[in-house]
Amino acid sequence: MSGYLRKMSRRAIVQALIALPALVLFRNQPAVTEPDEIVEINGWILRRSDLA
Amino acid sequence: MIFDSYEAYKQAGFKPKACILGSGPAGTTIARKLGAAGIPVVVLEAGSREFSDESQDFYRGATVGDYYFDLDITRLRFMGGSSNHWAGWCRVLDKQDFEPKAWAPDTGWPISRADIEPYLGEVHDILELPDFRPDVPVSDDIRWVQLIKSPAVRFGEKFADELDKSKNIAVVLNTYATELAGDGKRVTGAKLWSNGQDAGTFSADYFVTCTGGLENSRLLLWSNQRSNGGVVPNATALGRYWMEHPTFEGGNAVLANYSEFEVDASNEAFFSPTLAAMERLKILNFGIRLIESPYPNVKKLIADLACTAPNMAEWMSSQLDQRLHCAAQLYVAWEQAPLASNQIELSKADVDHAGVPRIELHWKKSPLERRTLLEGLRLFGATLAQKNLGRVRIDDWISNGGDYPTNEETAGHHHMGGTRMGTDVLKSVVDANCKVHGMDNLYVGGSSVFCTSGQCNPTTTITALACRLGEHLGKVIAV
Repeated sequence: MSGYLRKMSRRAIVQALIALPALVLFRNQPAVTEPDEIVEINGWILRRSDLA
Repeated sequence: MIFDSYEAYKQAGFKPKACILGSGPAGTTIARKLGAAGIPVVVLEAGSREFSDESQDFYRGATVGDYYFDLDITRLRFMGGSSNHWAGWCRVLDKQDFEPKAWAPDTGWPISRADIEPYLGEVHDILELPDFRPDVPVSDDIRWVQLIKSPAVRFGEKFADELDKSKNIAVVLNTYATELAGDGKRVTGAKLWSNGQDAGTFSADYFVTCTGGLENSRLLLWSNQRSNGGVVPNATALGRYWMEHPTFEGGNAVLANYSEFEVDASNEAFFSPTLAAMERLKILNFGIRLIESPYPNVKKLIADLACTAPNMAEWMSSQLDQRLHCAAQLYVAWEQAPLASNQIELSKADVDHAGVPRIELHWKKSPLERRTLLEGLRLFGATLAQKNLGRVRIDDWISNGGDYPTNEETAGHHHMGGTRMGTDVLKSVVDANCKVHGMDNLYVGGSSVFCTSGQCNPTTTITALACRLGEHLGKVIAV
């Protein structure tokens, strides 16, 4: 891993670090869901929209 | 004619062509059919006209496996049999109940529902039923089904006068066959017990055992043991594939509008899966019964939902403001997988007063049924949610895979299988005409011939099968 980092330019590393928080946010973005999708939570059989 | 003892019957000099063991719905119906066809028939009823502890004691037995009712509680041993404590709920097995299902081994009957439909008119007269209404689809997965709560005909009471006046039917009370004797082709006679003592032997051209979904197996197992296989020559399946309708409270539902569903006089409604849903989920048939919840339960339910879906709970609270009828308890009864391991055996340690071994019932619910319960409630819940008819909450013990509760209904007192119908002699005991494989003159009536249980109460189907067997036997005997 450290060898790989040595091969990267300093600029590329900085750009990667800047991009990281945005990527994390992107990853946490909930998947696109259908409001009519049926979900089971705590034993309840609900529509996704019930949870709004 | 009705006699109180075998001794009194003998003195009458009646010459029957057929002997029916048991006077419950199957035995009485077959006897009436034969009597109407002009065929003399004797019905041996082990009990008297009324319940007695002494008679009932013959039904004691033991259960191994899952919790089940005491065997002397779950059935009745007097004239009219278990119709004497029947609740009167009526529905015929569904068309799909007769079909084999690739995902459930040993399902499928050698007859179809069309084979019993010609007898449903008679059944409606016998059980005093209005016409059945067709199922109503609620979604692609769930259908509303009708379950008629009938006046609960007590066969002993309803038909006592008719039987007493009949010239072709003799009912002998306090008398039963402790064992049948056979030579591998025919039943050659029966050993009788009457009013607490050995009453000698008896013979007839034809025998029909209609002693109930537990006792038919017991009688044939014991008779076969005593006759070295001469009564049921192909006995591999004898006593096996025994089934019940496990019944438990499965959850609750909050309903947008209770009147959305057609309810019966008790404000209850019933739902079952479509065949397509059963195929897709690889589950068995089931029946969900909506029972209106008492008001405190509704508030508790909404409070529970508020933790998960506050807006939904708020909407439900507003519903509660508008109408008190907005929630229901969900009771689920389901079809049990036919398993050879669920079986009736003869006790090796305990015998009744006549020296006949008592029943040892081996009974366990299977993983397929557990899945049917969970997926069935999910299916029903999804239908209510998709159609915005309401929301379902499944009880925690079901969602979490907990043990079956022991303080609930448990089952329906529906005893099915043990002498099941079929073409494979290794997996069945009787043929499509309810005749014991390999025997010329031995037939079986009642729910012990059921190959599968479906989800509904069995008495309507028992009575239809009895009409069919009575008609068939009438033709056989008349030849």
